[in-house]
Amino acid sequence: MNPHLTALQISECFVGGVAPFVEEHARECAECRAKVTFLGDSLYQFRDAVGRWSSHLDRAEYQVVYRTTPARAHYGSPRIAGLSSLAVHGALAAVIVVLGTFQPVQSLVRQRITALELDLRPYMTQQNKAASGGGGGGARQLLDASKGKVPKPALRQFTPPRVDPITDPKLPMVPSIIAPDDVPNIEANNYGDPLSHLGIPSSGIGSGGGIGIGANGGVGAGYGAGVGPGSGGAFGGGVFRIGGGVSAPSVLSKVEPEYSEEARKAKWQGTVVVSVIVDELGRPRNVRVQRSLGLGLDQKAVEAVSQWRFKPGLKDGKPVPVIATIEVNFRLL
Amino acid sequence: MDLTVRMNTLLTIGTADATGAGAEGSSEFDVLVQIYRPRVFRFLLASLRDRESAENLTQDCFLRAYRARDQFRGDSSRTTWLMQIAINLVRKHESNSRLKFWRRALRTGLSAADLRDWLPDHQVSPESAVLAKEQVNAIWTVVTQLSERQRTVFLLRFVEEMDLLEIAGATGMKEGTVKTHLFRALQSVRAKLEVTK
Repeated sequence: MNPHLTALQISECFVGGVAPFVEEHARECAECRAKVTFLGDSLYQFRDAVGRWSSHLDRAEYQVVYRTTPARAHYGSPRIAGLSSLAVHGALAAVIVVLGTFQPVQSLVRQRITALELDLRPYMTQQNKAASGGGGGGARQLLDASKGKVPKPALRQFTPPRVDPITDPKLPMVPSIIAPDDVPNIEANNYGDPLSHLGIPSSGIGSGGGIGIGANGGVGAGYGAGVGPGSGGAFGGGVFRIGGGVSAPSVLSKVEPEYSEEARKAKWQGTVVVSVIVDELGRPRNVRVQRSLGLGLDQKAVEAVSQWRFKPGLKDGKPVPVIATIEVNFRLL
Repeated sequence: MDLTVRMNTLLTIGTADATGAGAEGSSEFDVLVQIYRPRVFRFLLASLRDRESAENLTQDCFLRAYRARDQFRGDSSRTTWLMQIAINLVRKHESNSRLKFWRRALRTGLSAADLRDWLPDHQVSPESAVLAKEQVNAIWTVVTQLSERQRTVFLLRFVEEMDLLEIAGATGMKEGTVKTHLFRALQSVRAKLEVTK
């Protein structure tokens, strides 16, 4: 009598490729036959259950749903489809353009938009108004304007300030500038440019009366009766940007920036971007670092650019303060 | 009535495979769908345990078959050809990560419970009915836990009753590989059945 079938051999009976002696044993040995039958029975039951489950769930109406009709794969030719799509889209775009250029539509839209637009003026600060404008003057003297206080602001200017007051005038008049009351000022006995550092009395190299390097009776580098490098009165510095009738300032003399010691040691290279306001006389003002490089190179760049001299930018043939950006390259050879 | 319909389909499957008539025309394809649809659906349902997915994939399967019907060379039987498409669809469905969450939820949920109710009522005694239910349930639990390959092979062998060569053709595996997978699946089923006994 053969030994009983192993589990593998029993499985083999269901997979196929059974050795003859296994088959024989399964037929003869009741115990093994029971095992095989049990497994076969279970599998049969399983198959039956799956079959019933499936046929119950399978929808009866599939014959209608899945009927294959001899339909064309594409309706119409793709060429015509593409062209008609293009035509439809083009027509839509044309309608939008036509509507947009239509006068009544435009006015309607404008009404709507102005109705929506809030009047923000009451909430805006007054600073913006004061910051623009400026003035300048001078008496064509050899030295830059000396330090001193700014005359009293007024709404009308009768006489420009002078550094050396006229002794015993026939019609005494307090000099004034046209500016709001909050012009920065310093305490001094004499008139002058509050931003100047010079002590020797001078009205400056400007023209038209006033103090400074500008013209037309103000104080500072501007044009007009205000203070500062702007024009048309008030205080500040109306700065132009290049473009739109404003020509770019060009460099007349250049000072090469030095390398800082740390940067040299670290073999640090790169570019510092500084913004600078080139005033009417071509002097750099307000040099600021826009893109920093570090290791002391920013300071060196600012130092160098502050010593540069420019041909000022022109607007309508007149020099105007212009803001410009300068890239200062630091390269180690 | 249900039973007679199934009997008819089984009969026609046999004849259609034997005659091997070409399925070029759409009406002939219609016939093909009618004959093979229950089988494909049964396999997909057992593989995915989800009626909606099985319906969708059955339709996909026949759509693909319809599109590729000119490429069917006839060097394998229609069953093998359609099963091949169905198996590929199952594989793609399983690897679809977007459905992973739902599949997992389904697997832990109502997978095994409903198959027990689909046993025939003509059992000799209540005891044997209970036993049969237990058997089916055990197999079903194992099948849900099998790997994708083992499950496919198992279902093709014991539900669709395909022989080893056909399974090899449909799955693209070698015959020996099919055998190995089948053995492993059977071993797990047997182990589970021993426990229930």
